[in-house]
Amino acid sequence: MRPIKLMGHERSLTQVKYNREGDLIFSVSKDSSASIWYSSNGERLGTLEGHKGTIWSIDVDSESILCSTGSADLSIRLWKVATGECVFQYEMSTPVRRVAFSPDNSKLLAVTDQVMGHQGTITVFNISYEGDYTNQSAEPELVIKTREGATKVVVAGWSHGGEYIIAGHEDGYVSKYDGHTGEFIQTVQAHGKYNEEKVLSITDIQFAPEDKSYFITSSKDKCSTLIDVETLEILKVYIADAPMNTAAITPKKNFVILGGGQEARNVTTTAESQGKFEARFYHKIFVDEIGRVKGHFGPLNSIAVHPNGSGYASGGEDGFIRVHSFDKSYFDFEYDAERTERAIASGAT
Amino acid sequence: MSTQVINSWADAEDDVPAPEVTTNPDGTKTVVSYRQNQKGQKIRVTQKIKEIKVQEKVHPLVAKRRTWAKYGKEKNTPPGPDTRTTQLGEIVELKLGTQWKEMEKQEEEEKAQQSAQVISNQRIKCRLCGGDHFTSKCPFKGTLGDAGKDESSLSTADIVIDPSSPGAPSKFVPRHMRRDAEGNLPARDSSARDDSTTLRISQLNTLVDEHMVRNELLAAYGPLERVALVRNRDTGISRGFAYVSFATEQLAERALNDLNGKGYHSLILHIEWSKKKKQ
Repeated sequence: MRPIKLMGHERSLTQVKYNREGDLIFSVSKDSSASIWYSSNGERLGTLEGHKGTIWSIDVDSESILCSTGSADLSIRLWKVATGECVFQYEMSTPVRRVAFSPDNSKLLAVTDQVMGHQGTITVFNISYEGDYTNQSAEPELVIKTREGATKVVVAGWSHGGEYIIAGHEDGYVSKYDGHTGEFIQTVQAHGKYNEEKVLSITDIQFAPEDKSYFITSSKDKCSTLIDVETLEILKVYIADAPMNTAAITPKKNFVILGGGQEARNVTTTAESQGKFEARFYHKIFVDEIGRVKGHFGPLNSIAVHPNGSGYASGGEDGFIRVHSFDKSYFDFEYDAERTERAIASGAT
Repeated sequence: MSTQVINSWADAEDDVPAPEVTTNPDGTKTVVSYRQNQKGQKIRVTQKIKEIKVQEKVHPLVAKRRTWAKYGKEKNTPPGPDTRTTQLGEIVELKLGTQWKEMEKQEEEEKAQQSAQVISNQRIKCRLCGGDHFTSKCPFKGTLGDAGKDESSLSTADIVIDPSSPGAPSKFVPRHMRRDAEGNLPARDSSARDDSTTLRISQLNTLVDEHMVRNELLAAYGPLERVALVRNRDTGISRGFAYVSFATEQLAERALNDLNGKGYHSLILHIEWSKKKKQ
């Protein structure tokens, strides 16, 4: 396969994301501008200008009308995707690490950092689609503060229908909150159990593309776990050999893609081949590592899979986005066990 | 002044005719264009073009988004990807399989072998026979060697060995490479020394010196040919082992059998043949 290199950012990428149809790629980086690209040919639709600091996170609603960015300049901005105008700005007290629209687009979740004496929170805003979108309420609908005895939340996302908010903590725990009331329901230790690493911070949470009934976490502890939403049971563990910054579940094929690599601060002292800056493909069910894709020369910070499973985009510490579309061999690959099972199933019908 | 001065090279009008386009009855187009090649010759290029319209069904929303005007840094840029921000990368392989690691390793080895072959084919040239191998590995070494050498290819080693020969440049010759009184060259390799009677004695106390080894420890097996106690080059402190050459092999063997594993100055001696004996 031949990737498209997108070189519109001047600093390392922090998040890449596809919209629902997969025709647009949203990317944010530490250089304080967000970019929107057509995924088919890599043409840039435009940039979102206005933030004054690192943008940590971007999300787009399912209709691709609005997108939101959370930045280290203590603000969340809402943008009109069609024109690139900023329609609203939320002022926060601490940097915003993650933003996410709820599946029905009515709410926006923001994870604020625990710094400068402020408590880390998950803040939920109501989003209104009336008029020219500028009439938003700056008052949060819900604020979930860091629980007693728990470390700060670093990532969060909505489960199916916005029923739950799943949050990843700095100490490798994953918590589940009620999406409507913000009530704490359950927590589970997802990282730090499978190997002896000191840094356990969860770096990414992405939900299953089909029904959001389970999700994958990635962590600095060189592991990635697949967890069920309803029970928070750990279904699978994928073990890698370097800290993982991102993980994604592929639709159509039973794979997961992990990305990461050696810590950015150690990169200058390592050769490219030793840095482990590859996207790793694991089989979702059999847990084996089945392949790698080279290309970046820094750790991968974010991976997004095309919603129809035809490719993926990865953003790296090196400041590049690489958009890949899979070859036929990718779709043909099957384990013998899968093949025989399929043959039996088709014979039975 | 000549009127044929061309102000700008780019303005120079060349006498290449404009391309001709003809539409064929089967819907194809024939384009005949002319251009000049590097030698300045005129070339006619005939291209037959068939236009095919590919229809792709996309979501209406997606189609609508394709018509959006660009904004931000991309404002006022022409449609289509900008090569400053968007480029095609080099081809990367994704080979899925449980044995992908082995497959990759194998491939890398093959590549390394190939490149090694290329290098060997290109660069290495035997000085004796001109073949593509190292001179030291030449199959004709020794037979062809002297014949192949002429005055110009006299190796520097020859000059060094024979410093007294007239005409040779007066070059510094290291002491160990000079001829001795009989005019013989010293043996180059250490294998020339007969080590069959030499023992290696280790685990010696650091306070033990050559004198003690000769007159105290091994006095009963003397006279000793050689006692070499290994010392630290900087501090002069013994490193705890020594090489001792005996007069005969029998004496050496007796010493080995008697003293190996015995204590000496509060350490247990470990003695072995300095060189493994050939069976």
